[in-house]
Amino acid sequence: MKETSKAVTAAAKTAKYLFMIVFVLVSVGPIAWAFISSFKTYAEINSSALSWPSGFRLDNYEAAFRYAPIAQYFLNSVVIVGCSVLVTVALVAMCSYIISRFDFKLKTVIVLLISASLMLPAQAISQPLFAIFQKLGIFDTKLGMVIVYSAMGIPMSFFVMTSYYKTISMALEESAYIDGATFLQTFWHIILPLAKPGLVTIALLQFINTWNEFYFALMLTSGNRARTVPIALNYYMGTFANNYSALFAAVVMTVLPTIFVFILLQRQVMESLTAGAVKG
Amino acid sequence: MVIRMKKKIVRRILASAMAVAMGLGMAACGNGGNAGGQAEGGTRAESESTEAAESGEKVVLNVINYHVGTDYAAEYYAYLFEEFQKTEEGKNVEFNFEEIPTTDAYNQKIKLLISSGDLPDIVFNGGNNITEMAAKSGKVADLTPYFDADPEWKALFDDTSLEFNTVDGKIYGVPVSKEISYIYYNKELFEQAGLTAPEVAYGSWDEFFEACEQLKAAGITPVGMDSADSGWLTNLWMSALIGTNGQAGNDWMNSMYPMDFNTPEVEAAAEKIAMMFQEYTTSDAVGGKYDPMATHFFNGEVAMFPNGPWMIPDFSEAEKAPEGFYDKVGIMLMPCAGMEMVPTPGDMVGAKDEAKIKAAVAFLKFETTPENQIKALEMTGLQPVSNDLEIPAGLTESDPLMAEVLEIQNHAEMTYGQNQAYWYQNTIDTFSTELPELAYGNITAKEFCEKLTESAAKNQE
Amino acid sequence: MILFALVYAAPIVTVLYTSLCNYTTFSAPVFQGIKNFVTIFSDQDFIVSIRNTLVWVVLQSTFHVGLGLAMALVLRRKPIGWKFVRTAYMIPNIVPTAATGVMFTLLLNPSFGIVKPFLEAFGIEVGQVPNLFGNSRYAFWTVTATWIFYSGFNTIIFLAEMGAVDKEIYEAARVDGAKPWQLDRYITLPLMKNIFGTCVTLASVAMVSQFDIIYMTTKGGPGNSTLNLPIYLYKAATLENNYGKANAVGVVQISIGLLLVLLVQRIFMEKKEA
Repeated sequence: MKETSKAVTAAAKTAKYLFMIVFVLVSVGPIAWAFISSFKTYAEINSSALSWPSGFRLDNYEAAFRYAPIAQYFLNSVVIVGCSVLVTVALVAMCSYIISRFDFKLKTVIVLLISASLMLPAQAISQPLFAIFQKLGIFDTKLGMVIVYSAMGIPMSFFVMTSYYKTISMALEESAYIDGATFLQTFWHIILPLAKPGLVTIALLQFINTWNEFYFALMLTSGNRARTVPIALNYYMGTFANNYSALFAAVVMTVLPTIFVFILLQRQVMESLTAGAVKG
Repeated sequence: MVIRMKKKIVRRILASAMAVAMGLGMAACGNGGNAGGQAEGGTRAESESTEAAESGEKVVLNVINYHVGTDYAAEYYAYLFEEFQKTEEGKNVEFNFEEIPTTDAYNQKIKLLISSGDLPDIVFNGGNNITEMAAKSGKVADLTPYFDADPEWKALFDDTSLEFNTVDGKIYGVPVSKEISYIYYNKELFEQAGLTAPEVAYGSWDEFFEACEQLKAAGITPVGMDSADSGWLTNLWMSALIGTNGQAGNDWMNSMYPMDFNTPEVEAAAEKIAMMFQEYTTSDAVGGKYDPMATHFFNGEVAMFPNGPWMIPDFSEAEKAPEGFYDKVGIMLMPCAGMEMVPTPGDMVGAKDEAKIKAAVAFLKFETTPENQIKALEMTGLQPVSNDLEIPAGLTESDPLMAEVLEIQNHAEMTYGQNQAYWYQNTIDTFSTELPELAYGNITAKEFCEKLTESAAKNQE
Repeated sequence: MILFALVYAAPIVTVLYTSLCNYTTFSAPVFQGIKNFVTIFSDQDFIVSIRNTLVWVVLQSTFHVGLGLAMALVLRRKPIGWKFVRTAYMIPNIVPTAATGVMFTLLLNPSFGIVKPFLEAFGIEVGQVPNLFGNSRYAFWTVTATWIFYSGFNTIIFLAEMGAVDKEIYEAARVDGAKPWQLDRYITLPLMKNIFGTCVTLASVAMVSQFDIIYMTTKGGPGNSTLNLPIYLYKAATLENNYGKANAVGVVQISIGLLLVLLVQRIFMEKKEA
């Protein structure tokens, strides 16, 4: 009896690690492959997916910088996406709390409207946006991009947070009020800490959705001041002259620092969250 | 009770605060409003141009340039802008550039700018039927008076090229080159298969397919084809099959915006294309993009490859082709001495005030001087738009293939267009997405053509 | 509030109105009734694109989100290397879509990609290497495979939620002699219901508007095998220059999205309160 249960545990353990390994391979495989390919020549990359590069030349990295202002676009990306994440999280943390806690007329209508605007095709709104941005003088500025990305991200984040707040018991707040806490105090000291997982969710969501955004980044900018990484990648894909090696070099150079930032952030945010988890 | 009250007030305050906050954030999505002045760059340019009018000095031209990054003509255009500023007409011109890599992205933005009325002063033409759209919107300048005022310049262009850039009787675009294409073949592989390539072209498609058969028997893949991104290579084969099929086929392949694809010539060509996919090309041709296919040719894995002269520089580029590959390449026309030749959609002028229009036209004139046409030929392989240009004597030495291209054109007995120049945008897309279905036999040649006809009809709705 | 509603409502109303218009690049909107809707609903490609969109929604809300949950359950116990796995699993979400598209088309190229060696490694002999993107028989599943396994986002959300669970509940259960899998089955999973609903909502909405990777790899082809609503809309707007028709598609797309959101709400959220 004991033997079999031990065997079962061992099998479960193996299965668990196998599961982890497979998915790490599936996730890391492509970027590792891109890394290797970033050393290949045009001929090598277009004629064999599995071969090693003939040498570890840095030509493609040099080419990546030569063809496109990749470093600047990367910094722009970091600033724009970073700010839009902050703005979205800050706004949504407050707004959706109010919506989730208080009832008022038209609430359903507003929630529906917000949900609908999630799926508005970008092409349909790019024209008015373009005109407004020019009028306000925020066309081709980082500020403009932060505004448009925050606006894009708010509906979905709003949605997530509202449903998240609903799961937090009202009892805590009630007792806080009884103890004489103000609304803001309650919100800051009681609600926000509880809402951390939800905030992590929307921050991540906002990051992923804006990091790869291409269409607005193209339409609402005209120079190097506010353009982002996805636009830079287009520089490597000219007519009859794709340079995939330089593309991959650029991808490696922009993905690595991002991963690094992620690891740092995870240490900050996730650790405090998962601290409570127990070992099964 | 107290709590309730408090809550209510706080709720009110916060609700309105939120409304304002969200309002700010979302102002972006609000209602339209008219297209105002231009962005900062534009404003700067405008103030400078007023200054220019006063002092008779600088004119600033806004330009959106898609010849950037890895674009085949990036170097040439950088050269052109720089040289222009050294000329008499160009010495007072400053350029204010916006770069948009890839014609795909460029066209998307230009369409937006056409409807908003914020076109750059010089509008490069990225294809995509932009000429017609821009002309009909009334946002580009009619260039006819400028052509009429300078007969010498006008004489550089033949009627076909100008007609191609004329909408409702007015010339809007300045064509800067001509597009031609034919077949490159690998001499070594032909030798291996015991074939002798014809001097100019195979006399008939039957002879061509016999050669394919012989190559295949020798274990060599005969032709390069593709289907992704508009199916450029396959389009060239298909255009040739139609364009060399008698007068009817040739006329069809020379007509703008064809609506009926269920003609005997088109259907016959589609049948041949299906057969070529199944018998004579690489396994990755279906769904494949241009680059891997070109690499097959560079690597000597494919014997014949249709394309234009802009490919020649690649043959001797170490990154792409093995050393000495340039010398292995031969050139022939399509069977029946056919050659694809289309005028190119020309660059336009989006400027509004007189001084800027003049400066923009001056640049377009500079872009089409005989010297620069030759320069473009040498640097990028772009074919001169003018017919009787004097080709520099050194070319036969420095670039014998390019010299051969210039020579072999004269032997073309039939010329015709290709789909990217003549078909509706969505029909080109249908061509590209339905080719795999045709190749795998999921639809017949007739059904393939019906899909194209249906797709073209959507433009008349 | 009114301002707020207006700001959101304006673009939606514009889209709704122009969907009823004859509106192209060349002409201003002119009202023409439901003609655009008649046109799209009688187009076989449009029906297919709705079907594909829905299949992707279902796959993504079940398999994809489930995968994220499974990974979270594994990582929750902090096995060796869990931090590494957590970060690694997130990477595909950071890689720009354009690059992902290029990577997959090269990796799966039938002539020089990994398909042939992969099949051979498993001893499968094939006369012709399957053309995964080029053949309509496989294209749908190939395109699906470019995103369905990459559930790192969901894993992190679930992990965050699991971390917030009061550990005393587990302690109490363990004292009562509960086995590890019982902890998951009777404590963790029920507590995940709400966040699972959120993940499903996000996944559905993402699938209703999925565009980039399809555009980069197949553009909806071969034939219409990978066509979905956003691609159909893009083609109507950009290739046919028919904005009225495109906005009609947009209206259908928004409606489907709203229905899905409400449906998921009903399934996951209401039960929770009951």
